[in-house]
Amino acid sequence: MTALTHERPEGTVPPAAPGGRPLGPRITAAVVVLAGAGLLVRAIRDAAQSGVTVDGPRLAPLIVTGGWVVLAAAYTIQTWAGKYTEAERVERAPRASWLVPAGLLAALVGYALVLEYTVVGYVPATAAFFVAAARLLGDRPVRAVILRDVVVALGLSFAIYLAFTRFLDIQLPAGVLPL
Amino acid sequence: MSALLDGFAAVLTPENLLFAVIGVTVGTLVGVLPGIGPALTIALLLPLTFNLDSPTGALIMFAGIYAGAMYGGSTTSILLNTPGESASVATSIEGYQMARRGRARAALATAAIGSFVAGTISTVLLSVLAAPMARFAVMFRAADYFALAVLALVAVTALVGRSMVRGLLSLTLGLFLGLVGIDSLTGQARFTFGSVNLLDGVNIVVVIVGLFAIGETLHLASRPTDVPSTVAPLEPPRGFAWLTREDWRRSWRPWLRGTALGFPFGALPSGGAELPTFLSYTYESRRSPHRDEFGTGAIEGVAGPEAANNASFSGVLVPLLTLGIPTSATAAVMLAAFQIFNVQPGPDLFDEGGALVWALIASLYVGNVLLLLLNLPLIRLWVKVLRIPRPVLYASILVFATLGVYAVSGSVFQVLLAYAIGVAGFFMRRYDFPIAPVILGLILGPMMEEQFRRALSLSNGDFGVFVSRPLTVVLLSLAVLALVVPYAPRLLAHGRADRVPAKVTLGEDD
Repeated sequence: MTALTHERPEGTVPPAAPGGRPLGPRITAAVVVLAGAGLLVRAIRDAAQSGVTVDGPRLAPLIVTGGWVVLAAAYTIQTWAGKYTEAERVERAPRASWLVPAGLLAALVGYALVLEYTVVGYVPATAAFFVAAARLLGDRPVRAVILRDVVVALGLSFAIYLAFTRFLDIQLPAGVLPL
Repeated sequence: MSALLDGFAAVLTPENLLFAVIGVTVGTLVGVLPGIGPALTIALLLPLTFNLDSPTGALIMFAGIYAGAMYGGSTTSILLNTPGESASVATSIEGYQMARRGRARAALATAAIGSFVAGTISTVLLSVLAAPMARFAVMFRAADYFALAVLALVAVTALVGRSMVRGLLSLTLGLFLGLVGIDSLTGQARFTFGSVNLLDGVNIVVVIVGLFAIGETLHLASRPTDVPSTVAPLEPPRGFAWLTREDWRRSWRPWLRGTALGFPFGALPSGGAELPTFLSYTYESRRSPHRDEFGTGAIEGVAGPEAANNASFSGVLVPLLTLGIPTSATAAVMLAAFQIFNVQPGPDLFDEGGALVWALIASLYVGNVLLLLLNLPLIRLWVKVLRIPRPVLYASILVFATLGVYAVSGSVFQVLLAYAIGVAGFFMRRYDFPIAPVILGLILGPMMEEQFRRALSLSNGDFGVFVSRPLTVVLLSLAVLALVVPYAPRLLAHGRADRVPAKVTLGEDD
C-alpha cells in the first residue's frame, strides 16, 4: 500500500490559502467513490444472478469495480491528508472558470440533439454551433470578429457537408437546405 | 528481404503514393493544430479511409497520417511552445527558445531531418526484427498473452504521470469501459444498463475523441489566458541551407543517440515515447559540449528528443504488429484502425497477410521521405495554420470531433457518450489524472480478460498455468518490477525538466 500512496515530491508547494483547501479534488474523490460503489453493487448483483467462475464473464467486473472502489478510497485519503498536489494548485488559479466549459457543453449537447431530432440539417446546425462556440471561447464581441466567425462557420460546414456526402459517401442530414 | 521489396512494389503505385501524399499532408495539417496529438489525429481522420476498398491503401494513408501528425506536433512545440502530446514536451523546451532567438528554421530542420534519420533507421530495425519476433510470438500461449497485457498496462500506468493512485484510477476507468457490452466468450451483456446502444461496447474512437478533443477543449476553456498565443516568427530564409555546417556537426550524434534510446523503449512496453524523449533531453543537456546553451536554445536538445520520439514509434510497432499488443495510445488507435479493415495484428498476420504488413512497413519508409520532401518547403503554410485565432480553432476542433464520432457511428447516442467522456476528461486534466492508461485499459483490458479465461479454461481452473512456463513467469515478474521501481528513471527524467520554466502541456498522448 505504501507504493500505491506514494506521491512524487512536488516542486514548489504553495502555502495553504486562507479559507482552507479547495473543495474540487474532494468532491471529485467523493463522486469517483460513489460511482465505483454503484458499479460494484451492479457487478455483485450480476454475479449473484449467474454465479462466478474463474473462466466466466462475472469475475472481471468484480475485480475492476472492486479495485476502483479501493483506489478511489486511497485517492480520497490523499485529498484529505493535506498533501498539496498539482491539482489543487490548478484549482487555486484565479482565472479558472466553470462557466465557459459549462456553456460549451450545453452548446455541444444542443448541437447533437438538433442534428438528430430536428429537420434543420447539418449545415445550419453546425454553423450555428460554431458561431456559439467561438463566441464562448473568444473574449472580444467585436462586430468584425463575429462576422469572421459567421463566414468561417458557413464555409466550414458547407465544405464538410459537400466533402463527406460527395467524396466520402458518408451521409449527413441535409435538412432544410436544398443540397 | 524479398517480402520487403514486394511491399515496396505494392506501395510505389501512383494510386498508393497519392494516398501517402494525402496522408502526410492531412496528418501534418491536423497535427500542427495546437493540442492535437497523433492519437487524436488518427481518430479524427479515420472516416477518410472508410471509402477505400483496399486495406493496403488505407494502411498507407495511416502511416502517412501518423508521420505527418508527429512532424506537425514538433512544429507546434517549436513555434508555439504548446506540445500536443507529452512526447513533444522535451522538444519544445529548447525548440521554442531557438525559435525565439531567430533560429526557428534551424530548429524545425533539425527536428525534421532528425525525425527522418530516426524514422529510417528504426524502420530498418523494425524490418529486421519483425519477422523473427513474429516467429517467436507463435510460441506465446494464452497465459503469456495475459502476462504481456498485464505488463504493458502496469508499465504504462507506472511510468506515465506523477501519482500511482491517479494513474491506476485512470487505468481502472479504461478497464471498466472495456467491460461494457457483450462478453466475447459467452455473449452475456455487462454494464449495458439495458441500453441496446451499449451492447457493442464503447468504441475507442468515441473515447479518444471524448478525452482528447472534448476534454481538452473544455479544459482550455476553463483557463482562458493560460495559452501563449504568440507564434515565434520565422526568420527570412537563407536559400536552401536551413542548417549550417555547425548545426549539422552538433545534430548528428544526438539524432543517433535519440534513435538508440527511442527504438528499444518503444519496443518494450514502457509507456511510449515520453520516457525516451526525456532521457535523450537529459543526456544531451548533461553531456553536450554546449551544455551552457541549454535553456537558451541548444540544437542538441531538439535533435535528440525528436529523434527519440520518432524512433520510439517504429519500436512500438514491433509488439503491435507481431503480438497485437498496443503499448501507447497512438498504437491503440492504429490497432482499432486495422480492425476496421479486418486486419488482426499478431503472429498470424505475417503468415496470412504478410504482403499487407510489408506494405505497411514499406509505406513507413515512403512516408518518411515524403515528409522531408513536402514539409520543410511548406513550412510557411503550417505557420499560417498556427496563426488561426483560438476561438475559431477550438470551435473547429469541436465540430470535427462531433463529426468524427457521428461519421464513424451514425448515432447521436455515441456523440453524447463522447461528450460525457469528455466531461470526465475535463476533470481528469484539471486534477492531473493521466489519459493514456484509459485508452490502453480500454483496448488491452478485454484482451487480457479473454486470455486469462482461455488459459484457465484450458487448465481446468488451475492457476498453476500462470507460473508453469518460464516466459509467463518472466513477464509477470517484470510487471511487478515495473510497479515497484518506476521511480528511479522517472526522477532522472523529470528532475532535469524542473530546471526549465513550467511548461504548458496542452495535451497528453502516449
